[in-house]
Amino acid sequence: MSEKVTGYAPIEHKPALAHLFWWFMFAQGGVLAAVLIPVHILVQGILGPLGIVRVVDRHYDTWISILGNPIVKLYLLVLISLPFFHFAHRLRYLLVDLGIPAAKTLVAQVIFYGGAVVVTLLAIYVLLTTAPISFG
Amino acid sequence: MAAGWWTKKRHYFLYIVREFTALPLALWLLWLLYEIYRAGRGPAHFYAPSSTAFVIFSVICLAFALYHSFTFLSLAGVILHFKVLDKPVRSRLIVISQFGLWLVASIVIGAVLIGLGR
Repeated sequence: MSEKVTGYAPIEHKPALAHLFWWFMFAQGGVLAAVLIPVHILVQGILGPLGIVRVVDRHYDTWISILGNPIVKLYLLVLISLPFFHFAHRLRYLLVDLGIPAAKTLVAQVIFYGGAVVVTLLAIYVLLTTAPISFG
Repeated sequence: MAAGWWTKKRHYFLYIVREFTALPLALWLLWLLYEIYRAGRGPAHFYAPSSTAFVIFSVICLAFALYHSFTFLSLAGVILHFKVLDKPVRSRLIVISQFGLWLVASIVIGAVLIGLGR
């Protein structure tokens, strides 16, 4: 026997695209941070300043020359901006875990993930205005 | 949950440290972005950072960066699931491949950063 049920809205199964996007950014940012950041800190932050090795950012002409390369600009944009989407999620949940429920609110989400977007826009601006694009 | 719960067990403490790694890494990347910005202001404003404070800052950030890398790449074996010829790839193999990727990327990037220096 089939009975028509009325009074209920049909259940719609929509893909959670926003959820998918933020999780994708979190995961990719985490991988990039894990794979790329340590060697930059080691070479540019420790070995170069201590004078143990010659590093491209120790002289203005070598540094500005490589900063003009469009592939390097794209690489630096990915290196700097994507990890911030990972950091935003981790730091927000760090606050939640430390007993700050305000970190769960929509305002907190806007501040943290918006912060990652701001860093991305800032990185785009800095990379586009620092050195003219050149393959030389 | 009581405040300071994460200090009760070593496992909890390391979990919070893992979450905290994001802060020093974010600070170091912001420094890198500032260095790029500073280069854009011209040679008169350029100087290569070499203070002891900066090196200490980088050493601290490197410790957190390595902790993030070890913990995050080790998780890959739990998160990622692949099948090759209808057989699941062992998680140990996935973790080894992630660490291999990290090693190769570090050698290539390090070689570029050092090779283009003078």
